[in-house]
Amino acid sequence: MLEAFPLMPDQIVSEDGQLQPGETVTHTPAELRALWEQMTLVREFDRKLVTLLRQGRTTFYAQASGMEATQVGIATGLRPGHDWVWGYYRDQGVALGLGMTLHEIVSQMLGSNSDLNKGRQMPHHAGSARCRFVSGSSSIASQLPPAVGMAMAQAYLGLDEVTVVTFGDGATSEGDWHAALNMAAVQGAPCLFICENNQWAISTPVTRQTRAESIHIKARAYGMPGYFVDGNDVLAVQRAVRTLADGIRAGSGPVLLECLTYRVGSHSNADADAEKSYRTRDEVNAWTSRDPIERLERFMARQGQEIGAQDRAQVVARIHRDVEDAVARAEASGQPDWRTMLEDVYADTPSHLRHAYEDLRQEYGSGGTK
Amino acid sequence: MTATSSTGRQDTPQDTAPTAPETVTLTLIQAVTEALRGELRRDDRVVVFGEDVGARGGVFLATAGLQAEFGVRRVFDTPLAEAAIVGAAVGMAVRGLRPVAEIQFADYIGPGFDQLTSQAAKLRYRSGGQFSCPMVVRTPSGGGVKGGHHHSQSPEAYYCHTPGLKVVMPSTPYDAMGLLRTAIRGEDPVMFFEPKRLYRAAKGEVPTADFTVEFGRAAVRRTGTDLTIVGYGGVMPDAEKAADALAAEGVSVEVLDLRTLVPWDREAVLASVEKTGRAVLVSEAPRIGNFMGEVASRIGEEAFGSLLAPVMQVAGFDTPYPYAQDRVYLPGPARILNACVKALQY
Ligand SMILES: Cc1ncc(C[n+]2csc(CCOP(=O)(O)OP(=O)(O)O)c2C)c(N)n1
Repeated sequence: MLEAFPLMPDQIVSEDGQLQPGETVTHTPAELRALWEQMTLVREFDRKLVTLLRQGRTTFYAQASGMEATQVGIATGLRPGHDWVWGYYRDQGVALGLGMTLHEIVSQMLGSNSDLNKGRQMPHHAGSARCRFVSGSSSIASQLPPAVGMAMAQAYLGLDEVTVVTFGDGATSEGDWHAALNMAAVQGAPCLFICENNQWAISTPVTRQTRAESIHIKARAYGMPGYFVDGNDVLAVQRAVRTLADGIRAGSGPVLLECLTYRVGSHSNADADAEKSYRTRDEVNAWTSRDPIERLERFMARQGQEIGAQDRAQVVARIHRDVEDAVARAEASGQPDWRTMLEDVYADTPSHLRHAYEDLRQEYGSGGTK
Repeated sequence: MTATSSTGRQDTPQDTAPTAPETVTLTLIQAVTEALRGELRRDDRVVVFGEDVGARGGVFLATAGLQAEFGVRRVFDTPLAEAAIVGAAVGMAVRGLRPVAEIQFADYIGPGFDQLTSQAAKLRYRSGGQFSCPMVVRTPSGGGVKGGHHHSQSPEAYYCHTPGLKVVMPSTPYDAMGLLRTAIRGEDPVMFFEPKRLYRAAKGEVPTADFTVEFGRAAVRRTGTDLTIVGYGGVMPDAEKAADALAAEGVSVEVLDLRTLVPWDREAVLASVEKTGRAVLVSEAPRIGNFMGEVASRIGEEAFGSLLAPVMQVAGFDTPYPYAQDRVYLPGPARILNACVKALQY
């Protein structure tokens, strides 16, 4: 049962895949299977993208491995295409879950011509108006105040949409985080704050980020409820997001949800030596053994829905093919034309940027990509 | 390396000349690390902190090994909060420490901006000189590393526009070391921008003995008589490439590296332009409000009579820094060369 300010994170399925006492699961086998496939997609996407990085075909990647239950739980707990999400760079699982295609995400990762963002952002900053997933700034926590404003607008306009804003544990140290929670509470903004607490902000552990015993209890100081879920239990995350989003729709006001999880990989390719430089193999191994996908598999097996080795291999192979195909299409689309560099700074292109266009044309000629 | 400018200066002024002749070859980032190490050893009021600077040694490894050598009291990780990092540095400085804070990327100083512009920059002035802020904010800046707009911007002009801050951007290991020492030993808040694309690309000889480089003195990277290129930070190697290309055509180019923007070496720039009659000002920051606008304005005011051509400015574009167009955005050798040719053919 989801309760405010609990000491222990809410769980539906235990680590060994058993239903917790008092819990029931109403998901159909097809729904469970879909969750499993979605989490497997996020995991295998990581594998392929790390390979692409090694091949020098993209320049930045931050894995979500270990956080699949949190991200898939968030996306599936919402109404895709209806609710809005201000995510952060590591949210590929949320973006995929909200309906962004592999091709769209990979196109962004490669800064290619087929990128919806026209190659403007560094890899890992996908965004899609269609999916109501707002392209982010990479400045940590800067997405929080705008998310609150969006929620205020939704209330003002009488819409039954919820704005969700996600962030890591590190983000909770920034002033913007505190300002946003306070503003949301005072204004009663229909905003769901979700901390994907993966316990590390690059090399800084959450214990060096805050002396509070958890993130969710901080909500109390702002006058809103704080909830706590096991972020490696996809069913618990999904239920919490759905329940809280529905509560917000019914007028509960803002809430903070903390999903306790772990990033199993490095922060990004920039610290691929994470184990050596700032955390222990033992710690990583302990969390690897709490794998969220395996937990769901164990639960499904207990329900008589075992996933066979061959079945899994086929799904994995299909995902790898799909990612490869998406990459090939993104690469084939080429690089954005140099001329596009000067567009979209403003809604209309002012004179000084039109002059810059002339300067560039002298250098690059009238067309082609550079 | 020791060319003498028209003003008779050496390109690497050594206010406190090294006593021993030995040198070592370092990259720019190694020079930063060694300067920090030296200052931590020399003065126990020096503390080094920021996001990931401790155990990890900074995301670029500029502080690698310092926590192991000096302990967690003197080299430490902070929560992810630039306002707290910069603001805490102000308080430490007022109470007698010599804080050297790292901001992970210049693009992320934003949350600390208020502390820099409202507190650090004004404390001395608003207190009638009773208080001061001897602190340094080090941060990697600039583009050329395929970082997109959040890992490539050149925000130095915001800080140049704020009286009370000093603003530095070295382009060689020698200058990085000498200027960082001056910054740490000085009495004022210093914004120390490190051009990240030169971190490992710029290599050079650095004396093993102590030396400093004074603020406000440009380095003459090469002397010439036909045209002056003025730049700073990450653009310097490309400015030199353009000068090489012109030299091959028999054009004699003088190349000045400002090294510090506040204060900047007006005399050296004016003297050089008076000699050559032509100035090409290069910076990768967006053009509007670019620091070089100030340099151009001064040349116009004070060296107008010597000019044989309009002052040319080569800058980044007035767009956020684009990921896919990384190379198009930067003023590379070709754009610098074009501007020089325009000035020469005027
Ligand atoms: C304002 C700001 N400061 C610093 C950074 C550099 N930085 C990028 S990711 C990161 C750690 C973020 O940790 P957390 O919020 O816990 O998210 P996680 O990466 O762990 O998912 C830092 C310090 C940044 N992007 N923005």
